[in-house]
Amino acid sequence: MSDITYGKVATFNTHPDASIPMESPLSVAFNTGSVPAATSGSRVLFKEQAFLGHLILRGGAIVLDEAVRKVLGISLPGQPLGLALDASGERSVQWLSPDEWLVIVPGGEEFELEQRLRDALGDAHYAIVDVSGGQTLVSLEGEKARELLMKSTNYDVHPSRFPVGKAVSVVFGKSSLILRRPSEERYELVLRRSFADYLYRWILDAGAEYAIGVEQ
Amino acid sequence: MSQVNRLRQGGRIDRARTLSFTFNGKRYQGHAGDTLASALLANGVDLVNRSFKYSRPRGIVAAGAEEPNALVQLGSTEAAQVPNVRATQQALFEGLTAQSTNGWPNVQRDVMSLVGKLGGRFMPPGFYYKTFMAPASMWMTYEKYIRKGAGLGRSPMENDPDSYDHLNQHCDLLVVGAGPTGLAAALTAARAGARVILCDEQEEMGGSLLDSRELLDDRPAAQWAEQVISELAENDNVTLLPRTTANGYHDHHFVTLHERRTEHLGETAPTIDGVRPTRSRMHRVRAGQVLLATGAHERPLVYGNNDVPGNLVAGAVSTYIRRYGVVPGNKLVLSVSNDHAYRAALDWDEAGREVVAIVDARRNPDGELVEQARARGIRIIEGAAVLEAKGDKRVSGARVATIDAAAFKVTGQAELLECDTIASSGGYSPVIHLASHTGARPTWDDEILGFVPSLVKGVHAAGSARGVHDLAGGLADGAAKASEALAALGKSASAIEPPRADAIREGQACALYQVPHEKPTLRAPKQFVDMQNDVTAAAIELATREGFESIEHVKRYTAMGFGTDQGKLGNINGMAIAARCLGKSIPEVGTTVFRPNYTPVTFGAIVGRHCRELFDPERYTALHQWHVENGAEFEDVGQWKRPWYFPKTVNGKQESMDEAVARESLAVRTGVGILDASTLGKIDIQGPDAREFLGRVYTNKWAKLAPGRVRYGLMCKDDGMLMDDGTTSCLGENHFLMTTTTGGAAGVMEWLELWHQTEWPELQVTFTSVTDHWATMTVTGPDARKLLSEITDIDLDREQFKFMDWRNGKVADVPARVFRISFTGELAYEINVQANYAMHVWKTLFEHGKKYDLTPYGTETMHVLRAEKGLIIAGQDTDGSVTPEDLGMFWAIGYDKPFSWIGKRALTRPDTARKDRKQFVGLKPVDPKVVLEEGAHIVVDKDQPIPMDMLGHVTSSYYSPNLESGFALAVIKGGRDRMGETLYVPMPDGQAHEVEVVSPVFIDPKGERQHV
Repeated sequence: MSDITYGKVATFNTHPDASIPMESPLSVAFNTGSVPAATSGSRVLFKEQAFLGHLILRGGAIVLDEAVRKVLGISLPGQPLGLALDASGERSVQWLSPDEWLVIVPGGEEFELEQRLRDALGDAHYAIVDVSGGQTLVSLEGEKARELLMKSTNYDVHPSRFPVGKAVSVVFGKSSLILRRPSEERYELVLRRSFADYLYRWILDAGAEYAIGVEQ
Repeated sequence: MSQVNRLRQGGRIDRARTLSFTFNGKRYQGHAGDTLASALLANGVDLVNRSFKYSRPRGIVAAGAEEPNALVQLGSTEAAQVPNVRATQQALFEGLTAQSTNGWPNVQRDVMSLVGKLGGRFMPPGFYYKTFMAPASMWMTYEKYIRKGAGLGRSPMENDPDSYDHLNQHCDLLVVGAGPTGLAAALTAARAGARVILCDEQEEMGGSLLDSRELLDDRPAAQWAEQVISELAENDNVTLLPRTTANGYHDHHFVTLHERRTEHLGETAPTIDGVRPTRSRMHRVRAGQVLLATGAHERPLVYGNNDVPGNLVAGAVSTYIRRYGVVPGNKLVLSVSNDHAYRAALDWDEAGREVVAIVDARRNPDGELVEQARARGIRIIEGAAVLEAKGDKRVSGARVATIDAAAFKVTGQAELLECDTIASSGGYSPVIHLASHTGARPTWDDEILGFVPSLVKGVHAAGSARGVHDLAGGLADGAAKASEALAALGKSASAIEPPRADAIREGQACALYQVPHEKPTLRAPKQFVDMQNDVTAAAIELATREGFESIEHVKRYTAMGFGTDQGKLGNINGMAIAARCLGKSIPEVGTTVFRPNYTPVTFGAIVGRHCRELFDPERYTALHQWHVENGAEFEDVGQWKRPWYFPKTVNGKQESMDEAVARESLAVRTGVGILDASTLGKIDIQGPDAREFLGRVYTNKWAKLAPGRVRYGLMCKDDGMLMDDGTTSCLGENHFLMTTTTGGAAGVMEWLELWHQTEWPELQVTFTSVTDHWATMTVTGPDARKLLSEITDIDLDREQFKFMDWRNGKVADVPARVFRISFTGELAYEINVQANYAMHVWKTLFEHGKKYDLTPYGTETMHVLRAEKGLIIAGQDTDGSVTPEDLGMFWAIGYDKPFSWIGKRALTRPDTARKDRKQFVGLKPVDPKVVLEEGAHIVVDKDQPIPMDMLGHVTSSYYSPNLESGFALAVIKGGRDRMGETLYVPMPDGQAHEVEVVSPVFIDPKGERQHV
């Protein structure tokens, strides 16, 4: 049964039982656009982590924190623009706005996670929304990754202002995305599906002078 | 021609590297390290341009951004053309090709100069306005020729082979200018660990230190500069930007820097390490604090024929000699009001050329530099000035006499000094342009005889930029101001210990701007104030006589300080002249406003990478690639690329849009069609108060909508006008899925958040955009059920799954939500699946759809089909002035809802109840072949003379293959009472289409087809 009603809210497992081919938001770009291979001279590396589970959590921090910690083993980031990861680095919770968080988990975990969170949250007022089909995660690495970001966003990405553990929604080119710093050497970008092609073209263009390479 | 003016030694050029270049078709040679200007002077090229209005011969006057004359057109090919480059700022490179900006047929023999000579006296300020006033309609024609005659360079007619980009920068302290003051400031901040950006517009950092006569720590000043620059370069927190002009100071310390990255290397960007860098780059700097160490511009004196080639500002003479090893002449007369400018004569003398005389406006000058000049035996004429230059294409002499500056009178007999160069200095104007961009009006300082910048919070000026002109003072000031700036950010930075500079005692300067002449200003030889715009002292005097008393009016009437010049050399002199004419002081007259950009910025740098395919984001649905592969033509809907129609190739010929749309429309009405509706906005709404919230933002009722049901809703702004429409489905008691129009999605989302956050925060409800998460495929037509039933486990029985129901299930093995809603009037199912699976579902539908001739259709067919059913498109049939009542949608207005929904009150106003409001109707052209023009007006009497009484206009119009006729939707005053009337749609060509007013529902008025 793909649809379970938790009290008065309908949840929906989007994944089929059968093996069905999936297309990530970057499929068109990869299928029809330029995909420069990474070389030893690449000073920026681009890699998509497709088909992850993305959930939006809405609600008060106090309401959500305990349930998230219990279910996911991660504390809600206490500070605005915070990003918290579990020990494996595969699951994360990111502050989006005073009552809004983005949870990213390995693909396929999101429906079960939503059910467990709903079980834990009971009658409180909150919302959980699956947005896995609407966005994708990309990582940027390399010595010129920061300079590429400087070409693209007016946000200050200097390490003193954008340290590990920070995540922020930014203007990027003429679009927007979520920019995250999960570790010293890596930036993560959360792209909205419909803007993914534009953003991909923008990033390749900005990265051309650094011989950007795309790892698939 | 050899480099006749090049010294055997000295300067910062590389004599081992000789570069060839072409100017006005002639080949010359210069050296690496030259600017185009220094190379031209080295080659003895006097005449570089013709003036803008009078076409007078002009030469190089200055050595930097303030150069008014030496504007050149660069480029050896059409694509590489760059207009209005200052030769003084253009580094020489091998093969550089430049031409004078003005001058036709050429700069030596100029036709327009005849006009200038003959008409000179008859071309007062406002000449063009006065002469070409009538008839007003002809001004555009006149202007075309006036501009061509004047010449301001030209744009390339071919695509630019180069690219440009932007870089966003942030820092604690932005230091503008890398002269002594800027270097001391940057060093202070850098050593304190601050993030520093240091930019400088010249080829080489160091500013005045590069041509200074002075020693720092007993070594040439330039060596100290090199040492500081290398220390800064090693600091990770310091960004050094040479060849970078701070062009605009915008709000909140947002400063745009324009870096010329390859313009010193060639006319287009060369390939370096396999990459062609961007030619120039706009640094968009957001600075914590800004320190302006922009230095000062030397003011030339205003005397007769001061524009003849061979007239320079004094400091430029020193710069050319000391930095470039070029002496721009043989016999110098120097006319000054201050000590500092004596350096020009000392440098000239040391270069081994003749200083005819120094003409000093002061009596008994006694500073150290004066003593040095005397010691060398240079003749000094005291209390005097150059009244007038002699010569045509080059200075041949200087008429010199004693003057009374305060009384503005010549007091002595004029003496003619034979010379080929006149250098002048009337003092030093701090470069206050950037500070002025903030809106702060500069203030006059009598001590330094110049305007000093007023500073908004967070902006600091140091050194010459605020009138501290001596070297030791500038160094200390830069360090101190940097320390203050960082303190304002809560960071402590102790000022560096500046290097030791010899204190040079300078005497007091005197105030001299326009030099008096024996004749009154209006009859004296032209005394130029602004050479780039050909504004003379006489023009300013005339302007004041004609009643222009505000300096802002004088500026606009005379064009002083206009355009690329921005008053760098001439503005202060102009103000002083206006003050004299008006009998006021300079501070009383005030200054005009300097505006960005400080120097011209190429459009490429403004655009950056936001061009071509990156000009604007293109949004794609999950099915985009299929649409492309299947030959879709696309329509831009907001930023989305939506399939417009899918032309087929029939008998080797591709269908026209009309043919494709006719085929697609018939397929939906008779078989089955499919539309990618993924672009519709989708908002997930959860919470105990979700239902209540919907009741407040929609005009209709939501209290009883049960899970599993869908309802169409109208959303009004608070003025009662329709804003957006769409269906909302009840997913659970506290859970809804709202759809919006494609273009309205973001606006509706903001609207919901706005009302929730500001008006009804007590309601427990959340909104989350799921537009991109779901892909939506509309399968519609009489065969839709048959097709869908093949690949779904959902019971599609008409009693089990009714119109305006939704169901869960699987479609092509993929979990799906299917909504039975219709925008075509036919049986329709909107299939929603997680977007990553959409392509599989879409392709499976086509596999099974073959036998039903499943026809993909685009937005054009969608428009035709919905219009046949009289279904509106918000934003096409409405325009922000249409109420739900105007649309006849009384059934969707819940006036008796308990809570006053948005727009309700506005709908009770007398205006919204007027009987003659424009109401939504259908129009049927009497001639079925006629397709009315959208936007066309509708009248009762086609023979009424213009202006006609207009009843309303056509909002949507198409040809319907189902009706075999054109048809239209329209809004018409009192339209619902005009059913059956015959009206007219007049066209620009004089004919008028006869139309009948009908119901907007053209097909299946009872709605039976969508309920099957």
